[in-house]
Amino acid sequence: MRGFFDWRGHAIFAMAARLYLAAIFLFACWHKILDPAAFALDIATYQILPLYLVNPLAIVLPWVELAAGLMLLLGFRTRAAALLMAGMMAMFTVAISIAVAKGLDMSCGCFASQGSADDPISWHTILRDLSWLLLAVYVFIFDRRPLGLDRLLGRRKNAAAPEIS
Amino acid sequence: MPGIAPAAIHPVHLQSLRATVRDALLVLAACAAVGAATNALRPGGIAFVQRTEYEILVPCPEGSGDTQAIQADDPAVWDTRTLLVDARSAAEHQRWHPTGAIAIPFDYLEPTAPEQVRRIASSGAGRVVVFGDGGNPDSGEQLAREIAGKGIRNVRFVEGGAPPLEKAAGLRGAR
Repeated sequence: MRGFFDWRGHAIFAMAARLYLAAIFLFACWHKILDPAAFALDIATYQILPLYLVNPLAIVLPWVELAAGLMLLLGFRTRAAALLMAGMMAMFTVAISIAVAKGLDMSCGCFASQGSADDPISWHTILRDLSWLLLAVYVFIFDRRPLGLDRLLGRRKNAAAPEIS
Repeated sequence: MPGIAPAAIHPVHLQSLRATVRDALLVLAACAAVGAATNALRPGGIAFVQRTEYEILVPCPEGSGDTQAIQADDPAVWDTRTLLVDARSAAEHQRWHPTGAIAIPFDYLEPTAPEQVRRIASSGAGRVVVFGDGGNPDSGEQLAREIAGKGIRNVRFVEGGAPPLEKAAGLRGAR
């Protein structure tokens, strides 16, 4: 088991997963930031949250997606970004599962607002979100700063640290 | 105490985990501040707390049964033991309908009234063929599924809806 965790290939796979997740989240946050009213309606359509939580979530969530996406893309505080993504993906998966279980005939609202008939929710949507959740967990566990700001900053810090003899 | 020592998280890992959680919370707080500020400053900003309910339009899940399409020129459509059901609006039904067809306009928001279902059930027909506007989605197919889901057997819907049915009726010259 230890050999599995120590495998060097994880660094490459984690970086690929990191960039893939970054692209997804940067793409997903765009329409939500541009039109918070439509996104609030998307959240309300799930009929899960109480009314007073709908708008705060619509206002804050897209920026968390943007920040997490940028952090993963730049390799800055990668594990924190992966943790945020895993949390969001878990939340989305639960929300979509409830909507599917209720039999609601609606769009996901993930990459476009409800006004679009694209991306209707189904068990496929849940599987897709679960796979992204697993990828986020994978990045959280296995990212070893192969490329990005974390590595750059780590080198500078090490160079600036006084040498102990 | 003798025995196996509980597995402990290495202090370095614990420290790293704490730092990660702290970073994530800081990002969350920063995003909340940026989001709230942006929303307050932008022209299309929304109220932080919504006062009135959102008007959402999600079709409620109605019981849906299995049904199959049937071609308008299929002899079974025109069989005397077939009950034709028109799912289109009353105005469209008024404009043209095959002789004997009953009108049950399909409503995407409201379920079909129980008395209408009873009307079909008590018709004594051996087959129910529903036709709608032929759109996407087709009101005929939707109504057929709903009726089938309410226990009516042998329900079909005309593929393409009323237009091919009207054409087939014209070719048959009767009914």
